[in-house]
Amino acid sequence: MDAKNKLLNKIRQYYFSLVDANLYLDSHPTCKEGLAYFKKYKDLYEEAKEEYEKKYAPLDFLSGIKDDKWAWASEPWPWEGSEN
Amino acid sequence: MWEYKKRLEYPVKIKNPNPALAKVIISQLGGPDGELGASMRYLNQRYVAPCNQVKAILSDIGTEELAHMEIVSAILYQLTKGLSIKEIKESGFDTYFVDHTTGIYPQAASGTPFSALTFQSTGDPIADLTEDLAAEQKARLTYDNILRLADDPDVRDPIKFLRAREIVHFQRFGEGLRMVQDQLDAKNFYAFNPSFDL
Ligand SMILES: [Fe+2]
Repeated sequence: MDAKNKLLNKIRQYYFSLVDANLYLDSHPTCKEGLAYFKKYKDLYEEAKEEYEKKYAPLDFLSGIKDDKWAWASEPWPWEGSEN
Repeated sequence: MWEYKKRLEYPVKIKNPNPALAKVIISQLGGPDGELGASMRYLNQRYVAPCNQVKAILSDIGTEELAHMEIVSAILYQLTKGLSIKEIKESGFDTYFVDHTTGIYPQAASGTPFSALTFQSTGDPIADLTEDLAAEQKARLTYDNILRLADDPDVRDPIKFLRAREIVHFQRFGEGLRMVQDQLDAKNFYAFNPSFDL
């Protein structure tokens, strides 16, 4: 796995931790451990996402501009299997 | 509203196309217990949920199901990429191919197109959440059946992820149902619609 996909996989793992924690916190909104877990992965996710988008390609439309071009539409789409 | 993230929730990278397997797995896109129906069920049911936490559970699981639709569609796309006409005929994929070529269309493995008749939005949260619990079990057992039919580890890996999520969703809906029931008292337990009668 190349560096780009390694980083993308990390982002995917961090974000998945957030998705799962989101569902848990919906029914356990005051769980201290759950809240700390969410905070931890939110920081890791944001840091990794920023690094990826700076180096490679946008992951959401808000980061769509790269090198003064609209990179959102031109980069490959995730179902094509070019990732990982 | 929604915002698209340009990546799969779980990676899909399939080396060997297999149209016969795609014909089976398509049920988890548009079949009776597939991801499209799951998402539409929860996202339509959520509006009249009687408390904010249950609105959150329905919104957030309904959103995750959209990501699961995309994973199943990526599996179908990659299983049917670069096929020859000979492979299409011999695999039995020809009956799908004639209508859709290799486009992704939500239908059951039997060929029945996706139908909103596969789910309900009753306006009664106890009825809806009980359906949601059953829906998660039915999706889980469909993935179990797919795992009985699929040998390719590239396919089995994302299917196992999707199966595991159904179990988590079942747990969360169970907690949602308990929240709704905890707000009822002994007199109206089960006998009233807490979104309409109270
Ligand atoms: Fe689910």
